[in-house]
Amino acid sequence: MVAVGTAGRRGGASKWVHANLFSSRWNSSLTIATLLLGLAIAYSLGDFVFVSAEWESVEVNRRLLFLAIYPSGEEWRLWPPVMMFAVVAGLGYGLWSRAGIREYVIGGGAVAFVFFFLVEDNTAVLTAVMIAIAIATYLAGVRARDSRVDTLARRAVIGGGVAIVPLALLMLNLGDGVRTTAWGGVMLNLMLATIGIGIGFPLGVLLALGRSSSLKVISFACTGYIEFVRAGPLILWLAMARFVLPDFLPSVGGLDDVSLVVRAMMVMAGFSAAYIAEVVRGGLQTIPRGQHEAADAIGLSAFQSTWFIVLPQALRSVIPALVNRFVSLWKDTSLVVVLGFVDLLGAARAIPAQPDFVGRQAEALLFAALIFWSVSFTMSRLSARIERQLGVGVR
Amino acid sequence: MPSDNRTSNTEASTRSKSIIVVEHLSKWFDDFQALTDVNTTVREQEVVVVFGPSGSGKSTFIRTLNRLEEHDEGRIVIDGIELTDDLDNLEAIRSDVGMVFQQFNLFPHLTVQRNITLGPQKVRHLPEAEANELAMQLLERVGIPEQADKFPAQLSGGQQQRVAIARALAMQPKIMLFDEPTSALDPEMIKEVLDVMRELAESGMTMIVVTHEMGFAREVADRFLFFDGGQIVEEGTSEHFFTNPKEERTKLFLSQIL
Repeated sequence: MVAVGTAGRRGGASKWVHANLFSSRWNSSLTIATLLLGLAIAYSLGDFVFVSAEWESVEVNRRLLFLAIYPSGEEWRLWPPVMMFAVVAGLGYGLWSRAGIREYVIGGGAVAFVFFFLVEDNTAVLTAVMIAIAIATYLAGVRARDSRVDTLARRAVIGGGVAIVPLALLMLNLGDGVRTTAWGGVMLNLMLATIGIGIGFPLGVLLALGRSSSLKVISFACTGYIEFVRAGPLILWLAMARFVLPDFLPSVGGLDDVSLVVRAMMVMAGFSAAYIAEVVRGGLQTIPRGQHEAADAIGLSAFQSTWFIVLPQALRSVIPALVNRFVSLWKDTSLVVVLGFVDLLGAARAIPAQPDFVGRQAEALLFAALIFWSVSFTMSRLSARIERQLGVGVR
Repeated sequence: MPSDNRTSNTEASTRSKSIIVVEHLSKWFDDFQALTDVNTTVREQEVVVVFGPSGSGKSTFIRTLNRLEEHDEGRIVIDGIELTDDLDNLEAIRSDVGMVFQQFNLFPHLTVQRNITLGPQKVRHLPEAEANELAMQLLERVGIPEQADKFPAQLSGGQQQRVAIARALAMQPKIMLFDEPTSALDPEMIKEVLDVMRELAESGMTMIVVTHEMGFAREVADRFLFFDGGQIVEEGTSEHFFTNPKEERTKLFLSQIL
């Protein structure tokens, strides 16, 4: 690794190439072989993407991929939460990011690029409005930072973020509502992932704290839950949600009669919570005893000590592992196909069955992969940014 | 027997009332008895230096005084309140007793100022502006007001320990405990911390200091407690210890560290 740096600095490109790619006969042959292989793969991929693929199968089915069997004419219900998301993302990034907008542009760009393909004529204006809102609120966030309304704005962002899912659920149920069995496509993946992370994360933190508790009953219960959930694959729990869960839920407030999608959400949240709990517990163990003692010595209560001293440090130290869980949860949402939902992957797999596109598997799958990637990539960029930003002042 | 060795008391006894009373204090770690029948009384504004070989129980002793360690037998009464399992009592005592640790134990994710203001704001419910003002006053007092916005890791060891002292003082304690405050410091930084402690002693703070900085101790201490084997072996003024210690163990230890 040292050689890379020094050669690059001293002798320019040719010297770098010589030092790193052709420094010996063995290295030279490896370099050439890798290059040829890379070119071959790039050629066949490029040939498929730009020449032989029939992207019409994706283009025609944009609505199917995005919303699946969601009834047409009901799209208006989805826009308020989408707009809310744009506000929260823009304002939040403006307020919290001190080092410029690179990740915002890269992450937002990746998502926008992909979702651009999903825009239809009648949604173009609303999409443009959404992008304008995201930019405007970002600029507003930058201006609000360190001003008198800073704290207020930050609270608004957190509140808004928390409110997105309830708002979406409210909109979907307003008036006649949309049958939950009709939810599908990317929208369903996004909702499942948001719930899985939004509920699974705080639940996981609580479980981790519980497992680390000195109260044996609590610790035992939390450990039991975690071990129980981790004992089975997600797909099994989803099947349980369909066939078994209704028999176990109490009949209070119609709880035993909740729709399948809500049960899937409960499973997503409960499942990810168990894994997140173990990640967070790892973080809790990195906190030296002296931190607890110092917090005790200045008179902080157990709750205050956890909230102000222990958790911020513990969570910071496990950001990469946490984001790893979030990214894998996002893709695990496609497992709801076993419940009969048509999510993004389900939609992509339905396309080759259409008479016009018989056998065109590759295009739809590639496009689905691109969408999964864009969201995963955005999450990973965001976490990189958060890590760097929180790195200030760490030991 | 420890109590036999008490020398006639210092001027502190005549000028003020007792603020810490420790009676028949014993403490075990599993089978190991860390403290055995410790008895002592500290008066207001007194500066007590605790010293002794490592493992002698001196750290355990001062850590029992704000219940970082629970004692198994005996009584500890701080400013009229007995230390028990009662959480209200504990809360009252912890806001009366400040503590400075060997390893500083600053909160690394918070700025210097926030390290100091957290306690006053969350425990004493001081408004933010007042807490910030208090923090600046204290940083002024320990000589590093310009470091307020930095993080602990950006400071030297001596500066960190001074922040730790400021953090403890921010709770406006009646008693300050120091657990080997200079042991983790490079030699050139010890003086800056001792200077702050000396100023604090002169201002009339009641202090219990575990230290082996004997030059400093001689200067500020009203009374010394020599610990060995979990007991107070000998107790007295600096004059007593440095001219005429009674016990063989004390003589041996002093000859090793002086």
